[in-house]
Amino acid sequence: MISFIGRSVIQKIITLFFVSIVSFLIIHIAPGKPSQVDPMNPKFTPEVVERFQKEFHLDKPLHVQYLYFYRDLFTGETVSWKDNQSVLKKIWERFLNSLPLFIVGTIITWTLSFPIGIRSAIFRGQFYDRSATFLSYLLISIPGFFFAYVLIIFVVNQFHVPVIGMETFGIGDGASLPHIFMDRIWHLLLPSLLGATGGIAVLSRYVRSQMLEVEGQDYIRTARAKGLPPEQVHYKHALRNALLPFVTMFGLILPGLIGGSVIIESIFSWPGMGRMAYEAILARDYPVILTVNFVSAVLVLAGTFISDLLYLIVDPRIRL
Amino acid sequence: MQRSHFEIATMTIRRFLIFAPILLIIVLLQSYFWVPTYDEQTKGNPERLNEYITGSIGDASLLNPILTADSASSSIENMVFEGLIDRDEQLRFRGRLATSWEVFEEAYFYVNPSADIPRLGRADPETLVDFIKKAKQKNQTKNRELKDSLGFITDIFVLPPKTSWVTKPFKDPTTGKQKNINIRIRAPARIKLILNRVDPDFFQNLSLLLGKNYFESFNGKTYLMSDSEMEKVKLESYAGELLPAIEHNPVLLFHLRPGVRFHDGHLFDAYDVKFTYESIMNPKNLSPRIADYEPVKSVTVINPLTVKIVYKRLYSPAMGTWGMGILPEHLLNHNALKEEAHRLGKDSNTFSMRQSRFNRHPVGCGPFRFQEWKSDQYIILNRFDGYWEGPPNYNKYVFRVIPDRLTQEMEFYAGTIDGYDVQPHQVKRLEKDQRFQSFSGTAFGYTYIGYNIRRKPFDDPRVRRALGMAIDVDKIIDYVLYGQGERITGPFVKQTDYYNHNIEPVPYDPQGALTLLAAAGWKPDKQGWLTKDGNKFQFTLITNNGNDLRKAILAIAQDAWKQIGMDVHTDLLEWSVFIQERVNKADFDALILGWQMGIDPDLYQIWHSSQTNPYQLNFVSFKNKEADDLIIKIRQEYNHNRQVRYCHRLHEIIAKEQPYTFLYVGKWTAVLDKRIVIKTIDDAGNIRYEKIKPTKTGNYSFYFNKWIKLPEAPGFMLEG
Repeated sequence: MISFIGRSVIQKIITLFFVSIVSFLIIHIAPGKPSQVDPMNPKFTPEVVERFQKEFHLDKPLHVQYLYFYRDLFTGETVSWKDNQSVLKKIWERFLNSLPLFIVGTIITWTLSFPIGIRSAIFRGQFYDRSATFLSYLLISIPGFFFAYVLIIFVVNQFHVPVIGMETFGIGDGASLPHIFMDRIWHLLLPSLLGATGGIAVLSRYVRSQMLEVEGQDYIRTARAKGLPPEQVHYKHALRNALLPFVTMFGLILPGLIGGSVIIESIFSWPGMGRMAYEAILARDYPVILTVNFVSAVLVLAGTFISDLLYLIVDPRIRL
Repeated sequence: MQRSHFEIATMTIRRFLIFAPILLIIVLLQSYFWVPTYDEQTKGNPERLNEYITGSIGDASLLNPILTADSASSSIENMVFEGLIDRDEQLRFRGRLATSWEVFEEAYFYVNPSADIPRLGRADPETLVDFIKKAKQKNQTKNRELKDSLGFITDIFVLPPKTSWVTKPFKDPTTGKQKNINIRIRAPARIKLILNRVDPDFFQNLSLLLGKNYFESFNGKTYLMSDSEMEKVKLESYAGELLPAIEHNPVLLFHLRPGVRFHDGHLFDAYDVKFTYESIMNPKNLSPRIADYEPVKSVTVINPLTVKIVYKRLYSPAMGTWGMGILPEHLLNHNALKEEAHRLGKDSNTFSMRQSRFNRHPVGCGPFRFQEWKSDQYIILNRFDGYWEGPPNYNKYVFRVIPDRLTQEMEFYAGTIDGYDVQPHQVKRLEKDQRFQSFSGTAFGYTYIGYNIRRKPFDDPRVRRALGMAIDVDKIIDYVLYGQGERITGPFVKQTDYYNHNIEPVPYDPQGALTLLAAAGWKPDKQGWLTKDGNKFQFTLITNNGNDLRKAILAIAQDAWKQIGMDVHTDLLEWSVFIQERVNKADFDALILGWQMGIDPDLYQIWHSSQTNPYQLNFVSFKNKEADDLIIKIRQEYNHNRQVRYCHRLHEIIAKEQPYTFLYVGKWTAVLDKRIVIKTIDDAGNIRYEKIKPTKTGNYSFYFNKWIKLPEAPGFMLEG
């Protein structure tokens, strides 16, 4: 166990090192320059551009820039080129904004997918299963932004309430605490629901197939043959075993924390991570892009590590 | 027992699976009943009438006018900060923090002891001064220009000779090492003349009096001595810089408005102006505006309400740069920054204005005071009651960041934003709505097709003109822009005097184009392709990906040219590849691009022949000697009428040469709630409401400080 953890940590650190090099290279070799060094603005004389390049260390060879960047990152001194704000502080702020969206979205996904998937498996081939399948494929194939627009136009025209932003604009003045809280919940509803639709569609399919696979096993047949009521067979014998792979998926949703969703966040004016990262990419704000990249790489590796551990704990058959 | 226990467990799981999602959905949905509706926010909220809320796609970066150049930041900075001057309805300069200003000149020249002056011979400085003074008094010169120039002189001084040392870096040609060289300058006596206006032709005219070669024959090199065996040639190259025979020093003297206060109550004075200039020039601050102020020689505070700005050379765009927002010195000077660095525990030597808290909590002396900024959400400004021109009518100015255009429109309909950047296709929907008023005007930028003149066959102006004649620009405006554009014939802003309205746009005439091409040697072959000396007329037209208008034009132009027998290929490139690989390296045949213009007619970077190297903006390689002269003259001319004359001529040359096919200038449209009007109170206390009208130049928000929203749309609007 200990040796597994030790080995895993070392492996992940080596991977992280290579990820840091590759992401650094990709961003620097990709065409395009930071907007501060944009040569198409007649106001920017070569002297100004040169000075910016010096300030940002862009005049140095790549490996030196690499060292500068990661030195700053580990001492917490990285600042965004756009506004000179500390990158870690910015990411933390946005992370807190994206967090509720992520949590509610995940809860919706997981609580809805299981009942839908299980029911589909139980009534395989029947009307319910077919319509659930149809709906799932529909939700997977409709682009999220289109669905978002339809939903926004519908809600705004029918109910005349604001849906964009983290809260109703200007609610802070004089509203009571429960009002503010519920207002926030309302604003979470649509974006998290939209974020969850794709997840529900995919996850419920997955639950269904897992259930079906388990239901075909010999021990299920034995349970049935014993004369157990079908309810008990489905929910006790089959479900428990079908759940096993999903436990490990908990670890893998961790990276979703930092990704955010560019499209949903832009349409709903949500000041989250995804939007910040997207704008940073457009402006070639290297410190922000690279930090987000690094943090998400860490989260991905941590996620796989956690899911390995979870598997170890949940499934006694696996021994390392 | 065992059996029922299992049953209960199964039931719990089942119930949980059913009730958990239902409960969750109920909790989420019930929040609807707590949310204020749009009506409660707008009609049910009387304060809403005193707020102006604008929607923007992007957030501001920093709120410090000297550090930013993006439009979102400037729109807030214009509310919080105030410049010395701005432009009025006619685009003329108007005093803001400055009440008035004087523009004059200090001119210098070195006495040239070796030159023979007609009717005087070789003269010492004092005699020379007397000679010029007499010539001015006698007023007998026949030449009018000289008489005028002499008439401008208000004072003449002699500056005695002086010796000084300068240190210059020098690269040793044999060893290749960088070293410093001391140069001794034994400057001869110099004459300083004060002119009551800026006269670019002053020395040219004065040479009529002092002899043709008086200034040219002055040899600065003979006064320079180097401490080491520096090459003569090298020394010579410094001579022009260290001892220029003649020097124009235009001067701007601003008289400042007394009693103006910053938002924190501190009194504004000339030291703030000087400080703002110094901050821009401070290399630590990395100001993107440094190029505008590079020609400044010195900024001197004469007294707390007078500031004198001397320029190194003739530079007429100078005036416009003082519209720049003025920073409060007391909050940002060396000591204040040192204290802040100390408080934050940072190194005070590397801490600069860029890191200061000020950039997110700005203090200026504009009409609105900063209140709050939530990144990517909103910026709130409050009315500044101590504003020198009287406080604005609105209590609040709110800048909301809504990154999606459709949601912007939804919020606009709902009344939770008052204005946003309306797109041409949205204009069509909003124009007819009775609740809104709309304004439109000509924008400041144009779209063009540029030809790489370095390459054949684009080196022939007839070919370039023919290419333009083959394209039906009016159709592009009608069908691609939904009519939201106008034709343009040259590089100046269409609503300024600089634009020459006498120039006809290139007509749509494919037959005429073929005739012109035939004259240039291009004749159709058997298949109908244009050929010359066996070569097909073949090229590639490129533009950047992501701009739908340009993409449409790309297809239209390709088709139009194919119809007259040209084999045209097209290519769409990602913006950074387009700029870096093709435009900067001048590796293209023809391209579609646009320029955003300022009001000032300075065209140096885009049209001067010295700017044709890689990474410079004259990437089509337009070279014309007369145009070069005019561009320099426009930069140096302070007299508006003469500047206009030069611009008209330059416009004519560019239109004749057709280095670009000028396509169109876009139109902007703004839509506002009809309830927003101009409210003025006259001296007797009578309140008057007027409909918002755009100024002549199309600026509808010129009187923004007088705007207010009424509970009902006023009657005069229904009539009008």
